[in-house]
Amino acid sequence: MSETMELRAKRGLAFYARIYRKVLAQDLKSKMSYRADFIISTFGMIMTNAVGFISFYILFQNFPSINGWNYYEMLFFYGFSLIALTPLQCLFDNNWSLRYAVESGDFIKYCFRPINVFFYFISEVFDVKGLGQLAFGIMVLVYAWIHLAIPVTVITMVQLVLLLITASLFMIAIMNFAAATCFWIQRSGYVMVLMFRFKDYAKYPASIFDGLFKIIFTFVIPIAFIAYYPALVILRPDEIPLLSYLSPALGMLFFYLSYKFWMLGARKYNGTGS
Amino acid sequence: MKNEKEYAIVMNGVAKEFKVLNRREGLMGSIRDLFSRDYRTVTAVDDISIKIPKGQIVGYLGPNGAGKSTTIKMMTGVLEPSRGELIVNGCVPYKNRTRNAEKIGVVFGQRSQLWWSLPLIESFKLLKEIYLIPDDEYNEMMELYTSLVDLEPLLHKTVRQMSLGQRTLSDILAAFLHNPQIVFLDEPTIGLDVSMKAKIRELIKELNRRKNTTVILTTHDMGDVDALCERIVIIDHGKMIYDNDMEHLKTYYGSYRTLKLRMPGDVWEEEVIDESQTDVMSVISDYQKKGKILDIKLEEIATEEVIKKIYEGVAG
Repeated sequence: MSETMELRAKRGLAFYARIYRKVLAQDLKSKMSYRADFIISTFGMIMTNAVGFISFYILFQNFPSINGWNYYEMLFFYGFSLIALTPLQCLFDNNWSLRYAVESGDFIKYCFRPINVFFYFISEVFDVKGLGQLAFGIMVLVYAWIHLAIPVTVITMVQLVLLLITASLFMIAIMNFAAATCFWIQRSGYVMVLMFRFKDYAKYPASIFDGLFKIIFTFVIPIAFIAYYPALVILRPDEIPLLSYLSPALGMLFFYLSYKFWMLGARKYNGTGS
Repeated sequence: MKNEKEYAIVMNGVAKEFKVLNRREGLMGSIRDLFSRDYRTVTAVDDISIKIPKGQIVGYLGPNGAGKSTTIKMMTGVLEPSRGELIVNGCVPYKNRTRNAEKIGVVFGQRSQLWWSLPLIESFKLLKEIYLIPDDEYNEMMELYTSLVDLEPLLHKTVRQMSLGQRTLSDILAAFLHNPQIVFLDEPTIGLDVSMKAKIRELIKELNRRKNTTVILTTHDMGDVDALCERIVIIDHGKMIYDNDMEHLKTYYGSYRTLKLRMPGDVWEEEVIDESQTDVMSVISDYQKKGKILDIKLEEIATEEVIKKIYEGVAG
């Protein structure tokens, strides 16, 4: 018993942080060595976002506002959701490979090391493409922020960081759930693609959806928490709904549940024969 | 009678059952399957009892689907036995997966467990962190490795750039790095050329000798078994059908050869011959009466054939 306790202490947060830092540094180093690949993928990501932005721009050339939200407010949601997407894309990208690892039986190798299986699997890949998106998101958000003349104070900055983390947690949790379905069903790729598509709606304020979709996007597939509820705190400080206040706690809870679901799948997994 | 503590692995009536859904055909069948409770039970491992002393190299053999992987997965704490008692390094693997994992190493012949994009030396450094290997032990191990294999050219290569042989070698070195009590090797020489096979076997043997590591080896390669194993355990259909030392296997089955004859129409006929009972020449002359023999090969009996013989022996 005491030995178990001692081991827990040895492999605590500091242990995982150290491992993570080393894996990331090494992985980045090796990615940089494929320089052409790095440049092209970053460029591709920026182009994808630029095209997305252009269609957004054209839309607003025709409508001065959507459901009471003006152009810059919509841009705010847009930039906010892009930034919140970055941790998912950079750090949790390996979820996309999960079903291949499970189908081929390769997943078994993650079960033999004395570290957390989820951590081990997820830490293996760091995707640099997400950084291009981050840069783009920051530009959009800053641009919208200036035009909306939102004050830059310590409070709004702390709020912003906290809310971005919240939004990221929701986004990561949704994809954890989607990825982990592969432990139970085949062709779980569809689930992942579907969920990833859903996040495209995150950049629109949930108030533009009608009753049913608003409920679905709040309580079933909580994409409204990715940008809408958190961003309201900064955009409409006079009328913050209760759900916005609850969003950090809900984000952590949702992430925790998704982690538990993922681990449940991994525990149940027994690999294909070899 | 040995003290329980001297055993690396103790299995006592261990069994593993899986519930498998009886799938129906067609689209409607698939939809009904979603709600089906119609399971059948498949016994992958059936009542296996075995004690493996520390430092022994055991060949764990059996045809595909015999239950080898399932046993290994139970020993490594990935699967929970349905019944029976399983003790590895003095603890129950499934209940202490991470603690068990600290004291074991695993190599799967075709699946590298190293980080693909990292140079080998960086993988080693990460493993040093993960297994909390003290500096002096790590350095000592690296010195040992350098003395056993030509390590330097490998260290700065990424696993992705390595040949299959180099990758297998690296995986084995990685599995022994934290000086585990037990190393599980699954088909370590599969797909390798003859000289690489010899090199890998030599390395495994040397590491086992120096570190007194228990090695559980699953393979279909009789060469691996001959070169390494002191003891053979054979399972089929989840049941243990043979457990004895290597000498015993050689005495009883060493006289078997596989005779292959190419007959007209390019057909290869195969005949397993027990030379203590039958004369090879008489078999050949029997065939000669049927038609012209175009080609002849006489091979050492393959593991599969030995297993088949043993199985037939048990069944008969």
